[in-house]
Amino acid sequence: MRIEFRLNNKLVAVDAPPDITLLDLLRDYLDLTGAKEGCAVGECGACSVIMDGRLVNSCLVLAPQAAGSEIVTIEGIHAPDGGPNDMQENFITYGAVQCGICIPGMVMAGEALLSQTLNPSREEIRVALAGNLCRCTGYQQIVDAIEATAAQRRAVRQ
Amino acid sequence: MPRFDYVRAGSIAEALQLLGDPALVSRPLAGGTDVLVYVRHEKSPFDRLVDISRVPEMKLIERLGDEVVVGASVTYTEAAESPVLQEFGCLMEACLSIGGPAIRNAGTLGGNVANAAACADSLPALVCLDAVAHLASLTGRRSLLVSELITGANRTGIQKGELLTHFTFPVLPAGARSAFTKLGRRNAQAISRLSMAAAGRIDAHGCVDFVRLSPGAATPQPRRFTEVEALLLGQEPTDELLAAAGKKTAEVMIGITGRRWSTQYKEVAIQALAERTLRRALC
Repeated sequence: MRIEFRLNNKLVAVDAPPDITLLDLLRDYLDLTGAKEGCAVGECGACSVIMDGRLVNSCLVLAPQAAGSEIVTIEGIHAPDGGPNDMQENFITYGAVQCGICIPGMVMAGEALLSQTLNPSREEIRVALAGNLCRCTGYQQIVDAIEATAAQRRAVRQ
Repeated sequence: MPRFDYVRAGSIAEALQLLGDPALVSRPLAGGTDVLVYVRHEKSPFDRLVDISRVPEMKLIERLGDEVVVGASVTYTEAAESPVLQEFGCLMEACLSIGGPAIRNAGTLGGNVANAAACADSLPALVCLDAVAHLASLTGRRSLLVSELITGANRTGIQKGELLTHFTFPVLPAGARSAFTKLGRRNAQAISRLSMAAAGRIDAHGCVDFVRLSPGAATPQPRRFTEVEALLLGQEPTDELLAAAGKKTAEVMIGITGRRWSTQYKEVAIQALAERTLRRALC
């Protein structure tokens, strides 16, 4: 079936079977492999994308459910020149990336949080990341990176 | 060849037409947090999923006099952010205890009830609020208590062609409070081992004049433990009384389930959970 939606700020139309997940649609039909399949049952957050402004697990969204929606994937998060944005720079600066497989999801969860508030407490950052598993970093550096990004964006806004 | 087809319903009427079509076996799809996991592992016993996640009438949350109406396609996040629902602490806390943000942004109250997992976190809260489930089909409508809709673990009285459209529940008596507590392996993304919803109020004499208690993941069918409520009503909520209420809760649970492999743990845990949740609702 034909599925049309906005993807990273561009209209896309793709022919795909109705019984696949949004994650498979992104990876296998649109060649966007930033979102990862970790658990495929909504427990790990590696496939996180932002759908109509809200963080979702793309492994739990049926591909045709995306029709008419606005989807942002990690490929849509970057600086104007195409390089890493401030949050991605902070992930590097704070040592928040080790093996990296959870990082696209972590950045999406961080961006989803900062789209709601630029003044999150550490606890709120931890809650925002509660559905994203990382087996390398111990999370502290990821929380640090998001906290620093929030502070910088607050400073820029003022 | 796709294993099943997909169609999006724009209204309840359209959803009922699609679900009632005798030519195809259709099932509703809302947030997908259970259905997508299910179709990954099982051969789908349906021909078509009818997407009800965007039906406007099923996204409503409103207060009509002394009654609250919550659409079945309301997500846990939408419920938790709703100004109308803030005063219902047990439902707020239950919604916010489910999964993580991404699960709460997708999963719906209707889906949680229709899937009817024994550990479903909204069940004890809805049962504590005396919530009524409203079902519609091409042949009519009917309403029954959520506690009566659930007939066992993953079993409900929802018939073929029927759609769970919304819930209603009466507001709590003025001054009453409610609370929800969950026991899981971690704070987020955890399946409840046990959960507990309680509501209550203390009168001018310091005695309990309103109380409800509804454990989750404790019995095959969720229900109010009226035996415990009777013990508390009219009494001063002392430490001794709350401890006795905890003991009684365990007794009632074991009376229903019998002694099972998990009872050694649940017997102790449910006492503490009932005691603490009642304390938060009453004290």
